Amino acid sequence: MDIIVIGGGSGGTLSANLLAKQLSNEIRGGQVRVHLISASQHHIFQPGYLHVAFAGQDPAEIVREERSLVRPDVQLIEEAAERIDLRSQAVTLVSGKRLQYDYLIVATGSVPSPEAIPRLSDASLNFHTGPDESRKIWDTIQEFDRGHVVVGIAGVPHKCPPSPNEAAFLADDYFRKRGIRDKVKLTFLTPYPRAYPAEPMSRVVEPRFKERGIEVVTFFNVESVDPARREIYSLEGDSVSYDLLIVVPPHRGSDVVIRSGIGDADGWIPTDKNTMRIVGHENAYAVGDATNIPVSKTGVTAHLQAITATSNIVSAIQRRRELYKYNGRIHCPFEMGSGKAAFVIGSYDTPVKEVHPTRIRYMMKKSFAKFYWRTLSGNWDWIFNIYFGKTHMVETA
Amino acid sequence: MATPESGVKPTTVVDSRGTMCPGPITDLFRAYRNANIGDIIELWATDPAAKSDSEAWAKRSGNEIVAVIDEKDHIRIQVRILKKGRQ
Repeated sequence: MDIIVIGGGSGGTLSANLLAKQLSNEIRGGQVRVHLISASQHHIFQPGYLHVAFAGQDPAEIVREERSLVRPDVQLIEEAAERIDLRSQAVTLVSGKRLQYDYLIVATGSVPSPEAIPRLSDASLNFHTGPDESRKIWDTIQEFDRGHVVVGIAGVPHKCPPSPNEAAFLADDYFRKRGIRDKVKLTFLTPYPRAYPAEPMSRVVEPRFKERGIEVVTFFNVESVDPARREIYSLEGDSVSYDLLIVVPPHRGSDVVIRSGIGDADGWIPTDKNTMRIVGHENAYAVGDATNIPVSKTGVTAHLQAITATSNIVSAIQRRRELYKYNGRIHCPFEMGSGKAAFVIGSYDTPVKEVHPTRIRYMMKKSFAKFYWRTLSGNWDWIFNIYFGKTHMVETA
Repeated sequence: MATPESGVKPTTVVDSRGTMCPGPITDLFRAYRNANIGDIIELWATDPAAKSDSEAWAKRSGNEIVAVIDEKDHIRIQVRILKKGRQ
């Protein structure tokens, strides 16, 4: 029996390790093989982009070899997937090699797409497309002495919903530390009606933005940018001029999902929001950013969804007749400057609540960044279970 | 307050039922990006914030809420696109 996991990010790496761990007897007995297809040899701790960009962290500190994170009983294939055929249960690699599967998990993530907005790539720096691009922000702000810095959201959806706000807070921190905050105007652009999309957290953010002199421009759906005039325009007909533009580009589904025709118009895979099964396919699952389910695209959600999907596969293979259902739990760390952080917490049935930033929550965020690599092994989920409480329900199938 | 059925046929229907804030308004923005002037976007939502968010956005952006229709378990918000970009 072959289980294929596509994608070497948080959701894919954890899925492969959890499957191998829970099916170790079956793997040893030769009944099961777990394959992990990763297009990259490197694994990036993506929340670290923010600190590379605004705090000068060394990009090398947020990158590790994917091979070092995968259990030895997982068969790692360091090659991109070319096509996924859900009907014939096969994955074709770019080399042309075709692999049949009995169970599949698609964890191919999301792709930041500055090219979706005219001239955005030329005009804006961003901290979502990679460590090197994030580093360019650090190099640029060090040379920046005065003027208008515009931070914000250029399009939706995007991964890590708090990250544009975090960027504004950290930029504010940075210019204050340099003693030039009075020479820098800081503006935050958002398509939403408020500073943070979920109102309870916006009530936390807005007074802090005001206190720090960060101006908020709402209902600004970016239409295009004119780098020569240094102006950014909205679909709503407004414009804002800037000296330095750092906006988060809209994201789309992965190339392999789009090529394979298994996603919606933007490349998100229609997925059952509870079982994590790809709609219409009993033995194929999607986790993390790749899905169309209505929760934040973050590492934590990918982690929790990987637990659900792998539990369902293991249950089917071991004929346990248990069906695991993800409850939509989100838990996004949210840094608000001055060494304080909050969390955005909610689920399908529990709206996001108001959580205020504290020093302890900041320390928790920083500790998690160090602990992240270990969480991918699947050996530390007991800590997640204690911390998060219930993240899925179990029904008898 | 909901308005009665408008009799207007939508150009695009966006089904955001089951998603919570900011799901519906995010879906409305995605549809707006692809819409043409004169199009009617019909947003289906179960999240109560969808109505106030859509109305605030329409007012600010110069677009028109044609109708807000109460169904048994969701609302349908019809938006006529009157303005998009720098015209």
